[in-house]
Amino acid sequence: MRPRTTGEVDLDTSVFRLDGVTKRYGDLVALDNATLDAGENEYISFLGPSGSGKTTLLRVIAGFEAPEAGRVFFNGKDITNLPAHERGIGFVFQNFALFPHLSVIQNVSFGLTHGKSGLNAAEIERRSLEMIEIVGLSGMQGRGVDQISGGQRQRVALARTLTMQPKLVLLDEPLGALDANLRGRMRNELRAIRERLGVTFVHVTGSETEALAMGDRVVVLDRGRIIQIGTPGEVYGSPASPDVAHFLNRFNLFEGKLAKGTFTGPFGAVPAAHAVRSDRDIYAVRYDRMQAVDPSAPVSGPAIRARFVASEYLGSSVMNFFEAGDGHVIEMEHHLSLGAPQTFEPRQDYLLTWNPEQAIVFGREVA
Amino acid sequence: MESRILKPALGLYVALFLLFLYGPFVVLTIISFQQGPEGGPQFPIIEWSTYWYRHIFGLTPPSRIAPLPFGEALLRSLTLAFMTMVVSTVLGVMSAQAFRRKFKGSGAVFYLIVLGMMVPGVLTGLGVSLLANNIIGIERHWYTTAFATHVAYTFPFAFLVMLAILNRFDSSVEEASWSLGVDPWTTFRKVTFPLIFPGVLSAMLFAFTLSLDEFPRTLFASGRDQTLPLAIYGTFAVEIHPNIFAFGVLTTLFSFALLSVYGILMAMSVRRAKKMAMQEDIE
Repeated sequence: MRPRTTGEVDLDTSVFRLDGVTKRYGDLVALDNATLDAGENEYISFLGPSGSGKTTLLRVIAGFEAPEAGRVFFNGKDITNLPAHERGIGFVFQNFALFPHLSVIQNVSFGLTHGKSGLNAAEIERRSLEMIEIVGLSGMQGRGVDQISGGQRQRVALARTLTMQPKLVLLDEPLGALDANLRGRMRNELRAIRERLGVTFVHVTGSETEALAMGDRVVVLDRGRIIQIGTPGEVYGSPASPDVAHFLNRFNLFEGKLAKGTFTGPFGAVPAAHAVRSDRDIYAVRYDRMQAVDPSAPVSGPAIRARFVASEYLGSSVMNFFEAGDGHVIEMEHHLSLGAPQTFEPRQDYLLTWNPEQAIVFGREVA
Repeated sequence: MESRILKPALGLYVALFLLFLYGPFVVLTIISFQQGPEGGPQFPIIEWSTYWYRHIFGLTPPSRIAPLPFGEALLRSLTLAFMTMVVSTVLGVMSAQAFRRKFKGSGAVFYLIVLGMMVPGVLTGLGVSLLANNIIGIERHWYTTAFATHVAYTFPFAFLVMLAILNRFDSSVEEASWSLGVDPWTTFRKVTFPLIFPGVLSAMLFAFTLSLDEFPRTLFASGRDQTLPLAIYGTFAVEIHPNIFAFGVLTTLFSFALLSVYGILMAMSVRRAKKMAMQEDIE
């Protein structure tokens, strides 16, 4: 056994742990010193733009890629050098990667039949049929995988993984290939399956709504680094950096200068009592915290003059787009539960204002 | 406007091409039905008969024309082609599989393999025969030295076919299999191989047919016992009778049968490949 580094004490509570995992492709750093701990029966979402290293991280955990540095622990064992087929970690692919030459039940029973399960054929069939029923595909076990719909294929991919009863299942944007309606349904089903089987799920997604909706914890990645770990509430309520705020796609970000408790931006100077340390000075206001008033109306807080461009109806809310003088687009979300939306005249100027206490200030200088 | 001229012109071109391709075979077929044993390989047909077909199988009364000495040569050639097919295809699949990952010197190895089909066959044959005779000091046989030259010649074809197939192969199905706890060898047998089977069939066909009518390498490397192409060439040197043509028709029919088997097997596995493509479409 190799000498262990830190943190071995709490291995019994964690299902898997990453310790300083680094992976390079030539000059490109895909993963930079990633460290992470996941407990039992947890649902973790990896959120990040494409190229952030989230899929690479998943592939390192699964054993498809070997890291250049760092260790991967699973079930209290160092599995960094263990080949993928000996890890016992499930993986659901973005394209599902079903075996096209096999039927639904042959796909689902594949691991039990050809792996080291040692079960007899009757037992394998019983378990496979049970899993097919759990994912709601009863009666379809004899079909070829080209004779079922996209959503059903997704469930075959999931059932195939779950029959092996892994303690950890990695999902690589498995909902990306589905339409919005199906995506919502699969989300609920994933939750239900997880509660029933007590599996830890790690879900990679580029969709911030999916990450916030599904995860017990959200891990935000950018350029190979983990930049924030927290509950959806924490990440949404207090993003750790301007980049996180940017990925969440729920904040208007203004550049400017923070000095002596005052942020000076395109809207003038605003007092900023609290600031989050960052490498840039950024002022962030959530879309739904913005208000638009007539340019002549008096405003109490900070305000910026902007021209109305267009609005988008989103069902439960209306998104309004304004353009400030420098071409900067400012978005304002109005929840319809708060009453009928304002109507704006195209190409008219308005004053956009907000309560400065609800803004988040990032700065190099922290009081 | 353009197609009014271009289409008939291209059609004519294709028709001429097909005529050129199958013309010799048609002539060959006609002459093979020449009357025997007096009729020779020329027009006009004196009288239509199946004499020369019966002659090949020794079913005609003895005459001054000796039966073709092809029986053993044919068996030898088929055996050699089969051996070559098996070895070249296995090597081709294995080496193409190795090329899926970049390794040190992969570029050089690639060209060394492909060189086998580029080098003039006469040189290879001569080289091997010199090597066997003068340097190693072993006897040349169709199943040793000639076999080696056949493998060196057909292996690059099998390799290139498999390389093209594996290039388009989506390796996530293999990773999926590993993640289900199935070891790499079983994964290859149960997932990879069934999916690349159309390519394997093509590689086999290439190796078999190329070996079956290989001439220049075999000429020098095969030693005493002749393969079919050498035996046929040998009879030309004496006197040509229509029995050669009848034999040609029979081997062509055999080739067609082989192609049909290939076609059927291919259609079966293409259906499978289509499923695969459909799965990729939804990505």
